[in-house]
Amino acid sequence: MIEFQFASFLAFLHMDPHGWYVWPTYGLGVLVIGGLTWQMAAGHRAVIKKIRRQIEREELHESET
Amino acid sequence: MGWRWFHQWGSPRWFYERAARWQLVSGWLALLLLTVGTLWGLGFAPVDYQQGHSYRIIYLHVPVAFLAQALYAAMAVSAVVLFVWKMKLADIGIQAMAQVGLGFTVLALVSGAIWGKPTWGTYWVWDARLTSMLILAFLYLGVIGLRSAIADPDQAGKACAILVLVGVVNLPIIKYSVEWWNTLHQPASLKLTEKPAMPASMWVPLLVNILGYYVAAAYLIFGFMRGLVLHRERRASWVREVIARD
Repeated sequence: MIEFQFASFLAFLHMDPHGWYVWPTYGLGVLVIGGLTWQMAAGHRAVIKKIRRQIEREELHESET
Repeated sequence: MGWRWFHQWGSPRWFYERAARWQLVSGWLALLLLTVGTLWGLGFAPVDYQQGHSYRIIYLHVPVAFLAQALYAAMAVSAVVLFVWKMKLADIGIQAMAQVGLGFTVLALVSGAIWGKPTWGTYWVWDARLTSMLILAFLYLGVIGLRSAIADPDQAGKACAILVLVGVVNLPIIKYSVEWWNTLHQPASLKLTEKPAMPASMWVPLLVNILGYYVAAAYLIFGFMRGLVLHRERRASWVREVIARD
């Protein structure tokens, strides 16, 4: 049977006496994976924007000539 | 069927369109697995009688350390594919995996250092496991740096593939460092060939998180690769069709 291992939510946060080690580690994990996700999405958006600009430039050039 | 499937990987368009679906599925699956595994490990797995609650760092440290090495091995396989079949996607895969691999290696190093303080009394020692993992981080950095230093993508791809293949020698050193040398680092927590030393209530959430981080890595790699494919193929007509459609 799976049981919650702490007497209270505060005890869960404190993880006597190791909360100061455990929580920052998971915070860092969220930061790294969140950062990679942001970098991936921002990179994708930037490429699409760049190609759109290129297409627009080419269309403008074609209409001028 | 087998070879046809393999040859499809030579088509960037085929990959770009399929990977959108794979990315969506892997993203949601990773979120589900990591939520379940992490909450289970942090709140419901029993406390370790020696290390207390600090051992709960295992539910992040072990999966990311596994992945840091697995992604480098996958980069080496991609490097071989690049040299043998000259597949563009293999090169793009190396580029994507280097970024994700560096993130996971840094996470493994820092989470290990934080875990080291309450367990060993120090954040860092220059022992074989820690030093070889640090070398792995430098190898990832080297691949990323080399890529941005060479303007021609084909030349950059070949140079990176050579560096990746040379760096493979570090993988067995990481794996066997705890057996070959006297180190503070404990031996592997999970082995495919042996029953785990810890009870199921501890290793099942670890297994869920290992699976979750692997799926999360797949999600990130598909995403990075899709952006890189678009950039590399930006002059192809299919890219213009895709951009106009979206």
